[in-house]
Amino acid sequence: MWETVAQAVINGLLIGGIYALVSIGVTLIFGVVKIVNFAQGEFVMIGMYISFFLANQFGIDPLLSLFVSMPVLFLVGVLIQHFLIRRVLGPNDMPQIFLTFALSLLLLNLALMLFTANYRTVHTSYSDEAFHVAGLYIPVAKLIAFVVAMFLSGALWVFLHTTDLGKAMRAAAQNRDVAMLMGINPNRVFCVALGIALALAGAAGSLLMPFYSAYPFVGQVFTLMAFVAVVMGSLGNVIGALIASLLMGVAESLGIQYVGADSGLIVVFALLLLTLAFKPTGLGGKAR
Amino acid sequence: MTTQGIHARGLILLAIGIAVVIALPLVVTSSFAIDIFIRILLFSFIGTAWNLMGGYAKQLSLGHAAYFGLGAYTSTILQIDFGISPWIGMIAGGVVAALASLPIGWLCFRLRGPYFTIATIATAQALMLIFLKFRDLAWGAEGTTIPNLGSAPLMMQFETKAAYYYVVLGLLALGLAITWAIERSWMGYYLVAIGEDEDAAEAIGVNAPKIKRDIYLISSFLTALAGTFYIQYIYFIDPPTAFSFNISIEAALVSIVGGIGTLWGPVIGTVLLETTSTLLQSWLGSSIGGVQLTVYSLILMAVILWRPTGLMGMMREAWQRYAKNKPARA
Repeated sequence: MWETVAQAVINGLLIGGIYALVSIGVTLIFGVVKIVNFAQGEFVMIGMYISFFLANQFGIDPLLSLFVSMPVLFLVGVLIQHFLIRRVLGPNDMPQIFLTFALSLLLLNLALMLFTANYRTVHTSYSDEAFHVAGLYIPVAKLIAFVVAMFLSGALWVFLHTTDLGKAMRAAAQNRDVAMLMGINPNRVFCVALGIALALAGAAGSLLMPFYSAYPFVGQVFTLMAFVAVVMGSLGNVIGALIASLLMGVAESLGIQYVGADSGLIVVFALLLLTLAFKPTGLGGKAR
Repeated sequence: MTTQGIHARGLILLAIGIAVVIALPLVVTSSFAIDIFIRILLFSFIGTAWNLMGGYAKQLSLGHAAYFGLGAYTSTILQIDFGISPWIGMIAGGVVAALASLPIGWLCFRLRGPYFTIATIATAQALMLIFLKFRDLAWGAEGTTIPNLGSAPLMMQFETKAAYYYVVLGLLALGLAITWAIERSWMGYYLVAIGEDEDAAEAIGVNAPKIKRDIYLISSFLTALAGTFYIQYIYFIDPPTAFSFNISIEAALVSIVGGIGTLWGPVIGTVLLETTSTLLQSWLGSSIGGVQLTVYSLILMAVILWRPTGLMGMMREAWQRYAKNKPARA
């Protein structure tokens, strides 16, 4: 009995690490730029396709293609901030919500046109390997993904708390106007925030590739998960998003185990609705 | 030109427009064309329902598929399990959707801006999952076909497409009439005030939670009517059709492209988007997936970046430029 529960919890934690990379990106963009990125999942999808094509064409291991997908998506993030998001930063909600929403629709449907709806997988030497510890089953690819995800999250935390640029980003998140008065260039800080957030999404894509299929709609579930995690973990809070993501991974996994194979998302939505009903400001702070 | 002159001209234009849309199925008999007209009227109506809340009060929902689906399922269950006419089922569906909007609104209105939008997406998706999962409730994932009774106007089944055209035309007329009435009422002013700045509106005494609840109720009721109509028109229902995220997207999209918070915005937006989509399909064929939404998203982006007031705003500017340059007449 306990083994089934423990196994479900482990599965949930491992995938929760990937959710964390996506939600930390969403919460970083929200915290610094005050925009909700509806397209975050689509950048995970792009990361996956980058790794798929590098593996398929050049035989590069998906974990190594991290070093391609992350810089490429960082650059994409900077460009998107500079040419698109910068133009809609204002008091009006509508353009802000629907710009990234349009971007999500665009990327998804472009992928559908270019790559078709087929599922793409990459098989690596460690795709089927697993550790067996005390009767529990721990797949190597998922474990690597989890460890790298936690490392990247930690690296981001260190960056935000020790470097000048990181401190400038946190300052801009706390109070944009005062930060500008202190000589912080908001567009530069916003560009870096978008770049880092998208690079994390790209990393999530590459880490997923050894054990997950790439297809145009793959990002949607990650965006939804990230939104739930970000609302639960109180918006703009990196640690909150991390913990909430791991919880959601576990909740989803327990849902699959005890409610039914197709019920993981129901449990996640139920969590979101319960959070909204009883703690609309998130588990830690104010919603807005 | 006097205000009365503009008024008279508007009424004449409206009368001509009404005559044209009523005569259209008599002149155009190709069922392919009428099918496109029906789509245009249907999405204009859904957009109009969305626009009441999303446009005037700026409560940007992306979960209106919830009410579309509830309307569709209510009337279909009443028809198949109890033999009740979809005309009655349509009203019942509207009532169910309106009632459902109360708890959903209670949850979602706790959040503002983008979080409200996310919460509405989640509620619509959750409803779809419930209908997929619980087979006893309503046929589960398989869905069901609506029994075809041939010509049975009392059961909302017609032999000609033209009849469906007039039904959905009636729905759109209802939606526009309600919007027109609300625009001119106190509620309309309250809605715009909430849309501009909710805190300021509350500070001058607008009961924002109540107004938002009421407009969500009306918007949900109308969206549910569209759901019943659509399912009766295609003779099939399953959760991904009834609760399709595309319904939620298109409701918002046509309103934004046409002109958010304007009476005719959703209609103009739908005409533009559906015409573009039809032209694309006849040009490229429907073989390549994703073309339609790629183009829609590009149009949406262009509108957001360059013309946030949509086509209505563009037309108003063009009219003002024309009126200013025109030599003044007595």
